[in-house]
Amino acid sequence: MIQLIHLDKTYPAAAGDVVALEDINLTIEDGAIYGIIGLSGAGKSTLVRCINLLEKPTAGQVLVDGEDLTKVKTKRLYEVRRNIGMIFQGFNLLEQRTVEANVRFPLELAKFKKDAAKARVAQLLELVGLSEKAKAYPSQLSGGQKQRVAIARALALSPKYLLCDEATSALDPNTTTAILELLKEINKKLGVTIIVITHEMRVVDSICTDVAVIDQSHIVESGKVADVFAFPQSEIAKQLIIPELIRTVKSAGGNKLRLVFNGEEADTPVVSGLAIECGIAVNILYADTKNIDGKTYGHMVITLPEDEGQAAQVKEYLEKNNVTYKEEI
Amino acid sequence: MQLLANSILIQLFDQNVILLGIWETIYMTVLSTAIAYLFGLPLGIVLIITEKDGLHPIPWLNKTLGFVVNAFRSFPFIILMVAFLPISKALIGTRSGNGAMIIMLIIAATPYVARMVESSLKEVDKGVVEAARSMGASNFQIICKVYLPEAKPSLIVGAVISTITVLGYSAMAGEIGGGGLGKIAITYGYQRFHDDVIWVCVAFTAVIVELIQEGGMLLARKLDHRVRQNSKKSKNKKSICKEKIS
Repeated sequence: MIQLIHLDKTYPAAAGDVVALEDINLTIEDGAIYGIIGLSGAGKSTLVRCINLLEKPTAGQVLVDGEDLTKVKTKRLYEVRRNIGMIFQGFNLLEQRTVEANVRFPLELAKFKKDAAKARVAQLLELVGLSEKAKAYPSQLSGGQKQRVAIARALALSPKYLLCDEATSALDPNTTTAILELLKEINKKLGVTIIVITHEMRVVDSICTDVAVIDQSHIVESGKVADVFAFPQSEIAKQLIIPELIRTVKSAGGNKLRLVFNGEEADTPVVSGLAIECGIAVNILYADTKNIDGKTYGHMVITLPEDEGQAAQVKEYLEKNNVTYKEEI
Repeated sequence: MQLLANSILIQLFDQNVILLGIWETIYMTVLSTAIAYLFGLPLGIVLIITEKDGLHPIPWLNKTLGFVVNAFRSFPFIILMVAFLPISKALIGTRSGNGAMIIMLIIAATPYVARMVESSLKEVDKGVVEAARSMGASNFQIICKVYLPEAKPSLIVGAVISTITVLGYSAMAGEIGGGGLGKIAITYGYQRFHDDVIWVCVAFTAVIVELIQEGGMLLARKLDHRVRQNSKKSKNKKSICKEKIS
């Protein structure tokens, strides 16, 4: 388990200190895929670097399995870092080393025996599906392949945790999907706890179990992905999670209702049901729902009838059908 | 006159003076550059790791070293030589000869080499260094396994430039008691008005420079796996073309 407790990070500058993180509290349970989402400049890259102490927090604690990393000696820190793999947006491969030598790199640092290292490298390249590229140099690989090498390298010492700093931001959508699938597989197969830093909603959407939203150096909300996505509280979370909904609805007048489909309600066609059962036709302002395994997920915004009685009837119908709604968009 | 001049040039060749000069130039240059690297390489590394966002920032040390390096580099070589000859006297008991000149060349070349090394190491991607840190690499491991290997091609190019600079210095050393092609050009050519001797010395120096330059660049290109992509690609294209033809 990783816990960040009252974490602060400020950078001293001539024109006054720059606050990068302020009072960050976060608990990342083992086995989770934890997404940390925010706009650029929010402090998420600094946050992830505080976990393995690439950046030293100004105040607060970083507990990894109960050990406060801000207090350990340098030597111990090197050991702890071997248990926390990391991948980057820019891949950061050693350009003068072959693929296999890149994957071998952390094993060399940890002074593995040659034979053991060789076997491990072969195993890792197989895991990421790059066995036939073992002798290639990074400059001969595509972005997706480079990130696979970086993943193999980060997993070389069988870490318990894997930090991903915008790992898919430099990749095209198809490659992103493939890399995300790989991360998911690693989480499932190897039980590696993954911390994902991103500004892309789809990354959190497709692989994360938990999410924290960071804005202007603060964590503004956090929780299970399903909960945060269904009811984003903060303005920034709404902008990140349902940007188009916010944009569409802002320009429309009248009373509105936001319906949240969480996959829990029965699969009834709500809008047509309203028309048929109550005889009330509502206007759909916005809808973004998807059907996964016969269950509906997503958001829909409808306009409420002017008539108060009819409006109450609509709400009653929704409650009867277990559809969660919010009057405040 | 022409006949006399020719005969002096021929004499110089016959008595192996030119050959000896070439040899002296090469060994003074190579030996002093090599020893300058012995001091300059660690100095360059220290400059990189002690800088503000380096692996182990020590601002005062970085500034002091930077100042000393710049101070030495601001000496014109000929002045530096005469100013530091007493050091040679103290070290090897003489102020002249190739030994003394080698010591002067080392003093002049070390700060130059340190800056060369520093700029090569600066080219190494900070992200790669960060990745190594994230894997639990110690600073020493990062220097040996990241900085130096990743900067290898650039370090070789730097060594080529340094060697050629030292070669230029070594010719100046001919003025104050060193040997080599520089001395021959000055004593036989300049002081006795034999332009042909000067031009022959220049020609040989040019050949040596050319050999170092081309050889070094070839080596740097061969060892650089970043540019390999292009050559490999074109090779692939060629082989594809061949396949198509056959």
